[in-house]
Amino acid sequence: MSQAVLASRSVALEQMASLSLPTKRDEAWRYAPHKKLGQLTFGPATAPDAVPGDIDSQIPHIKGPRIVIVNGVVDASLSRLDKLPSGVQVVSLADAPADLAAGMLDREYDGPEDAYSIINRAHGAGGALLHIGARIDETLHIVDVVVPGVAHNASATRVAIEMAAGSSATVVETRIGSGDTFGGSNVRTEISLAPDASLEHIILQDLPSAQIHLGRVDVTQAARSTLRAQLFNLGSDYSRVAYHVYLNGEAAHADLSGLYFGFGTQTLDQQITVVHSAKNCTSRQSYRGVLDDSSTGIWNGGVDVRPGADGSDSEQSNANLLLSKQAEINTTPRLEILADEVSCQHGATVGQLDEEALYYMRSRGIPKDEASRLLINGFADQVMEDLHIDTIRSWITERLGHDDA
Amino acid sequence: MLHVENLTASIGDTQILKGLNLDVGAGEVHAIMGPNGSGKSTFAHALAGRDGYEIGGTVTLDGADLLEMVPEARAAAGVFMGFQYPVEIPGVNNMYFLRTALNSVRRTRGEEQIGASDFLKDAQEAMALVEMKSDFLYRSVNAGFSGGEKKRNEILQMAIMQPRLAVLDETDSGLDIDALRVVASGVNSLRGPDRSMIVITHYQRLLDYIKPDFVHVLVDGKIVKSGDHTLALHLEDHGYAGFVNHDLDDAPLTGVPA
Repeated sequence: MSQAVLASRSVALEQMASLSLPTKRDEAWRYAPHKKLGQLTFGPATAPDAVPGDIDSQIPHIKGPRIVIVNGVVDASLSRLDKLPSGVQVVSLADAPADLAAGMLDREYDGPEDAYSIINRAHGAGGALLHIGARIDETLHIVDVVVPGVAHNASATRVAIEMAAGSSATVVETRIGSGDTFGGSNVRTEISLAPDASLEHIILQDLPSAQIHLGRVDVTQAARSTLRAQLFNLGSDYSRVAYHVYLNGEAAHADLSGLYFGFGTQTLDQQITVVHSAKNCTSRQSYRGVLDDSSTGIWNGGVDVRPGADGSDSEQSNANLLLSKQAEINTTPRLEILADEVSCQHGATVGQLDEEALYYMRSRGIPKDEASRLLINGFADQVMEDLHIDTIRSWITERLGHDDA
Repeated sequence: MLHVENLTASIGDTQILKGLNLDVGAGEVHAIMGPNGSGKSTFAHALAGRDGYEIGGTVTLDGADLLEMVPEARAAAGVFMGFQYPVEIPGVNNMYFLRTALNSVRRTRGEEQIGASDFLKDAQEAMALVEMKSDFLYRSVNAGFSGGEKKRNEILQMAIMQPRLAVLDETDSGLDIDALRVVASGVNSLRGPDRSMIVITHYQRLLDYIKPDFVHVLVDGKIVKSGDHTLALHLEDHGYAGFVNHDLDDAPLTGVPA
């Protein structure tokens, strides 16, 4: 293990001694199930005795390279890393060459880290490191699997993605779990975009309904770089994905969108902060939620425009569809502007199935249940309008159709 | 074919239809005219099966009791309503919607499902009828359509559904003269010996293009006068004032059959 990984880890282990978990008084953790979170147990990454054999049935079949991480440890037999495109390195953090690891893993962020980020640094040292030095057409797939164990029921995985100047790539992170016992995963992804780099980053979260997912994505963007981040927050008992995007270079662009689709007693939590620190940056946040049964959705989306970030342009929207009287959505657009000549728009909507549209469709002979399904899918599919990877599209539609039945 | 007897409709304490009687024979086109608030749209929705009304009386189509049926069953029985305000359905592809609709009524009738490529041929014929460009099929249902495009989409749907009874609710509202001509010629080409139509309108203008066999005046929830197409011309000249006052005998009618 390289010095950078070890150093980052030993600092975190020290911090662990005085760790205090978030409480409901922390705004960003207000709706989290704190009692259940307290029952997650983390420890040094160890591969499970039995690797789940059927992960292919749970994930989209994306052609191209993939790295599979089980309980925080890269599983070489499940991974496909023999034919990487030139200019791309995909390695286990544990094996990362010192020159790659240095600079990627000791990055300082200007916000305080939460307890789960510290836990992640302490125990997630077996994750993945991607270095992209070219324009890549192939989709890179990172699959994270948690298999709750006896020693500890939760896994930590650290992912680092470094985009060199002018490079471009698509990276998909599929996060799943095995079994129906309580447990969870803690995945933190750190992304760095050099000038003119462009990354499409997609998270597919689909852990079993007995498990918890804690995701965090930290992105720093240099001048004229572009991030397109999509989140499909579907599985888990409680799943929280937090984005912290720092637009540090002029004319950087971040486009974040997502869909959360809750059933049963699920709680799906999205926490987004985009910080405009340089001139003429643009950001978009566009999220949709569908909440059925007694599920709960949280959308907390913020834009901070720092002094000097003149010419910032941001838009935020959050649209929600509540399918049941017991379903709940908590939506909070936040905006803090400390610069000039800024355009920031935000809006949130909460609605139910449109009775007029249902009647219209039924008057054309479409049975009520099918009309409802068409309306719900029509609402949700709008998040996928710009998603051009067919295998992911069909995986999502099948996944939603399956639960919808 | 369609038999409506003593039809009443209320919402809460407000009675809107107060005993409406109407018989529409096969192949006939009936126009229903009336002032705002007379119950024209309520009549159309009562036929299509909208929720929220307290309904009384009898409505049968080819002997089948329509009032017992949910809206989708009425569609399968052959009822089609052209909406005054077609609903926008973002995210639902127009072609997928149309094919789902057609296959739903076919399934209910025990008919074979129609495949995507056969359907596309039928859809293209129907589109030519209302002079629609092919990109219409790939857009979301009515989303972002102009008023005229929405109404043409209604007639397109009618052409695809091939209904036994078409109820067109204020199909002319919001149309400029060119769009009106396109919509009306689409409707006319769908007239046939086995298809009946009820054309609901406030203005006589539409009836210059779609010539009805019968015209009925609906006032305060009842049909107060019936006649041939010249009744519409009379209304154009004299308005509804005479009927609203129930002072029918004084109104100078012309060309009404005895």
